[in-house]
Amino acid sequence: MLRFDATQLVLRHAGDSPIVGNLGPTSDELYHAGHRDRNFYTYGNMGLCSSIALGMALSTDDKVISLDGDGSLLMNLGTIATIGREMPENLVVLVWDNEMWGQTGGQSSHTATGTNLEDVAKSCGISKTTTVDDLETLEEAFGRAMNEPGPWFIVAKIEEAAEYMPVAPVEPEFTLYRFRNTYIE
Amino acid sequence: MPWAETIVDTLKKWDTSLIAYVPDISIDRVTSIIDADPFFHLVSCTREEEAVGVAVGSYAVGRNAAVFMQSSGFGNSINGIASLCLPSRTPIPIFMNLRGQVGEFNIAQVAMGRNTKPILDLFGIAHYTIESEDRMDTLLDGVMKLCHAHRNPVAICMTPMLHGGKIA
Repeated sequence: MLRFDATQLVLRHAGDSPIVGNLGPTSDELYHAGHRDRNFYTYGNMGLCSSIALGMALSTDDKVISLDGDGSLLMNLGTIATIGREMPENLVVLVWDNEMWGQTGGQSSHTATGTNLEDVAKSCGISKTTTVDDLETLEEAFGRAMNEPGPWFIVAKIEEAAEYMPVAPVEPEFTLYRFRNTYIE
Repeated sequence: MPWAETIVDTLKKWDTSLIAYVPDISIDRVTSIIDADPFFHLVSCTREEEAVGVAVGSYAVGRNAAVFMQSSGFGNSINGIASLCLPSRTPIPIFMNLRGQVGEFNIAQVAMGRNTKPILDLFGIAHYTIESEDRMDTLLDGVMKLCHAHRNPVAICMTPMLHGGKIA
């Protein structure tokens, strides 16, 4: 399953829900799959994607979608514990798990050597979890997550495409301003 | 008014109701009041950088947020502040207990505590040190106004002269 195809699937089911994109190709592909005001692209702050989404979920009634990555989430595993403590029903964490640090040379991540992020989420008290490895099962899981109370934690095993897409031509300041205006106007 | 109540009143005046924090004994007086007040949602985080992310997410959907930590945790939060708050311009007030000051008993707290304000200066983040309750309400109100006008984080550093410090 390619991340870009999976991202297009997410956008088809997302409606107006805010989507937080992890740094690098996840945000770039989110932009190319369907730029919208409620895409919150991140550019740095590795590890904080699902923390940002948690802050959103605690402050809006909308379903909030985090498109995180295995390497990034490993940098901030504690936020899974905080999600388990807060248990926001409107949060959907979707982890693109390519079992590597794709941006730094493709070194294997800890999910390639035994760490099971779904089990981590379960042990933090999150019961709505699954791991999927094709578009069909992703669509089924994500469709449920968008329609049933969470928090949801979905690990989607993906493959890296042969080439990266162009970097999304967006600025952090404008991303936040544009995103936030959909809530305060 | 006691310092802790002044902080709570200021947060309410500025409609800042999501508080992400890592516990600290010296400023527990204020976070305990926040925890007991239904106006606020106090989010206990595992690490200070995580608290920064939670606060930014809250602000992004239109709810003002603040972060509480101690200065040693400021070291843990720098990447989040530098690569998220500053480039995206988010007005997050950071309330911190400033360690390494008069009365410090722990050598491990001195380097980060004493370098916290120089690091804030390097990032161009405005910071204010509060050592007394005198005119604290006026100062805090002005700090919040600056924070939102500049749409950048500000740091409010509280020393043992204000809160009495940690009791060993």
